[in-house]
Amino acid sequence: MTSTTALLDELDTCTGPIGLLDEGAKREIRRAALTAVCVPGYQVPFGSREMPVARGWGSGGLQITLAVIGAADTVKVIDQGDDAGVNATNLRRMIASSTGCAESADTRDATVVQTRHRVPEEAMTAEHVLVYQVPVPEPLRGVQKSVAECARMHAEADYSAMWVSLYEDLVRNGMITRTTGYPVLVAGRYVMATTPIPRWDVPRLRMSEQLNLFGAGREKRIYAVPPHTEVTPLAFDDVPFEVEHAPGARCRLCGSDDVFLVEAGTRGGYLCSDTEWCARVRAGDADVDAHRERAPLDLLPDPARRAGVPPAVTTPRPRRVRPPRAAAAPEWALRVDGLGKVFGPLAGGDPGVTVAGTGPEHATAISPATGAIVAAWDVSFDVAPGEALGVIGESGSGKSTVLACIIGNELATAGEVRLAEVDGGRTEVLALAASARRLLRVDTMAVVHQNPAVGLDLRVSAGGNIAERLTAAGWRGYHDIRRRAAELLDRVEIPLTRMDDAVRTFSGGMRQRVQIAKALATDPPVVLLDEPTTGLDASVAAGVLDLLRGVLAERSVAAVVVSHDFGVIEALTDRTLVMQLGRVVEHGLTDQLFHDPHHPYTQRLVAAARR
Amino acid sequence: MTQLSPVLSIRGLRKSFTLHTIDGRTVSSLRGVDLDVHAGEHVALAGASGAGKSSLLRCVHRSYLPDSGSVRLRVDARPDGAGVELTGLADRAMARLRGREFGYVTQFLAAPPRTGPLEVVAGAARRRGLDRAAALDAAAEALRRLNLEEALWDVDCSLLSGGERQRVNLAAGTVSPPRLLLLDEPFSALDPANREAAVDLVASLAGRAVAVLAVFHDLDAMRRLASRVVLLRDGRIAREGTPDQMAEGLR
Repeated sequence: MTSTTALLDELDTCTGPIGLLDEGAKREIRRAALTAVCVPGYQVPFGSREMPVARGWGSGGLQITLAVIGAADTVKVIDQGDDAGVNATNLRRMIASSTGCAESADTRDATVVQTRHRVPEEAMTAEHVLVYQVPVPEPLRGVQKSVAECARMHAEADYSAMWVSLYEDLVRNGMITRTTGYPVLVAGRYVMATTPIPRWDVPRLRMSEQLNLFGAGREKRIYAVPPHTEVTPLAFDDVPFEVEHAPGARCRLCGSDDVFLVEAGTRGGYLCSDTEWCARVRAGDADVDAHRERAPLDLLPDPARRAGVPPAVTTPRPRRVRPPRAAAAPEWALRVDGLGKVFGPLAGGDPGVTVAGTGPEHATAISPATGAIVAAWDVSFDVAPGEALGVIGESGSGKSTVLACIIGNELATAGEVRLAEVDGGRTEVLALAASARRLLRVDTMAVVHQNPAVGLDLRVSAGGNIAERLTAAGWRGYHDIRRRAAELLDRVEIPLTRMDDAVRTFSGGMRQRVQIAKALATDPPVVLLDEPTTGLDASVAAGVLDLLRGVLAERSVAAVVVSHDFGVIEALTDRTLVMQLGRVVEHGLTDQLFHDPHHPYTQRLVAAARR
Repeated sequence: MTQLSPVLSIRGLRKSFTLHTIDGRTVSSLRGVDLDVHAGEHVALAGASGAGKSSLLRCVHRSYLPDSGSVRLRVDARPDGAGVELTGLADRAMARLRGREFGYVTQFLAAPPRTGPLEVVAGAARRRGLDRAAALDAAAEALRRLNLEEALWDVDCSLLSGGERQRVNLAAGTVSPPRLLLLDEPFSALDPANREAAVDLVASLAGRAVAVLAVFHDLDAMRRLASRVVLLRDGRIAREGTPDQMAEGLR
């Protein structure tokens, strides 16, 4: 008579190991992991498979483990630091039974450790592959919703939004409150999310002995920190990175105080997060001294160095040293030659055919040849330091298109743009790559948009918006950024009590002032203003206008002011271009255009402006 | 009287206006004016209204763009300096030249909105090359000399009376004296006491080698200030002479 147990045993022997991934799938995952190792911190896409666990329950980590593990390996699985939890146990058994590898709860025996939440307290060696189950692989997810924009930010190493989120955390809480997923810079290039581990474990990634592989099944991403790779937590120079710590806390069971501790339920006190370590300390089977060496005790919170306490000594501001203007340097700061923009088809690629028959003398901007809209054509001007140039015209005359082409929001169809700051004006800016042009907007050419929501992040504080521009320009001192932001906000008459309020709580006029402060943050030599007071109440507009007049007069910037309002142009500029139907129809000294307009269109504008 | 080349030299100046918004008609204003003004000289323009007096000032200032002719300004101290041709000068160069070399005083104050007298006058002094502190000192002195109450110095100019504004304008035009001063009825809104101070101020500029081209509505000021009177009629110079010689015709 066969017992039930014997029957089950017989069943086990005849089924044999069940493979969860075929060899092709494993190869693909290994290939993605290899790419990830080659480009540390970069998220490599891979064809995530269905796993017998739900996505979000470790399917990414499981796929990596199954792809890299072999029968000679020993697997350990940690869930929240615990080897014995239901999830950990089931995953471990599934891996072992489907690959034929050994299983162990002892890190010293394991070769592949799959983890959720922790790096083991035990020393990791070159023998170990540490596989992380990643819930949120994209470090920028919290600050940028668009996947395409996140990809661009990684590609251009444009991480100022990340710095702003750290700045905002410090402003709101006086300290870093982010627990898991603290952003790190890997090998000096990519910012990476350290989900799922706590800050306590982040230093263990730096120059590690083990290979770290991160898998996100739902987002279909694999990334890696290879052994001996530099990993730096993002932190301001004067507010150091710190790990989680409760003063005086110790494990209630083993008494350790140099481990990552978790609160021990309703009975109070703390327990080791890593149950394996706790048990071994109690059993006397742990090298406690070597562990203390590894523990991030140098990064325990130090209230004296937190954000609320400005340091006595300030770090030097990373102001870019502008080369002195050479004798041969151009007189202008910005020069535009023959700029043109056509929306729509170009006949045979020749703009000349398309543009023929448009402009003021034909009373249309629509090409008779192709039906394309000639928004701007043959626009040329230059602006010198300390000078403001006006561009006036009705809506649709092409003024804003010209600005959009200069700053790179639109691709110009024809023409050249030069900046004295860029290579002494020898480089044609329109020919530069989009990334290089975006960099110009950080500290060479600032824009003040009609709508503050375009130039500002309304969810971020006034100071944070300025911090965005400063961190993009390389500022890394928290207190320096605070001081500079306060100085700028004071200049634009925003009460400093509002510095840390989200811009969305500001009135239209105040938002515009913040936008102006941000534009001036890096002392750019060129400032472009697109209808800076349009849409504001008369009294508010007057205040903004006075502010602009003041700041333009006291700085030696070259300004271009685009407006349909002669009052604005008159208040801010010395010289003006008049645009109609995409062409410059007249230019002159601003008061001359007002007193002695020659072109019929200018005469109409002036007549309309006299009230 | 002098071997120095004139500060301002006008030749064959013509100006007309084409009014596109009406029916494209052309109105002629200046029909060929030749005129020199030397350093320290004080030339008064006279003539009926519509004769082209203000147009001439504005053409020199480039508030009007002349149709043809030449306007040259000698910008350096050398007596034989050829000067700068203003009619064809690039806008930017003209804007700079204006700030540095010109004073222009009209009946109206062209102050930026919401600025006070001290700021307006100091701004003019800054454009003529003074540093900030010196500009403020010079502005204060100019305003004091024209008896503008100190309590008004930081009051928005648009709140001032006509006479007060005119004094601000005069202070801005004459502070840290420019090379060329254009005056267009500069005393029209002043009461007798203030007018006296203003006339004294302008008279003192002759000693500082300022070339003055002026339009006055009151003959008394003209007689006291002008070294030469030029009578315009229909956009041309009809006659010129000393104030005494011209007094007959002007009455």
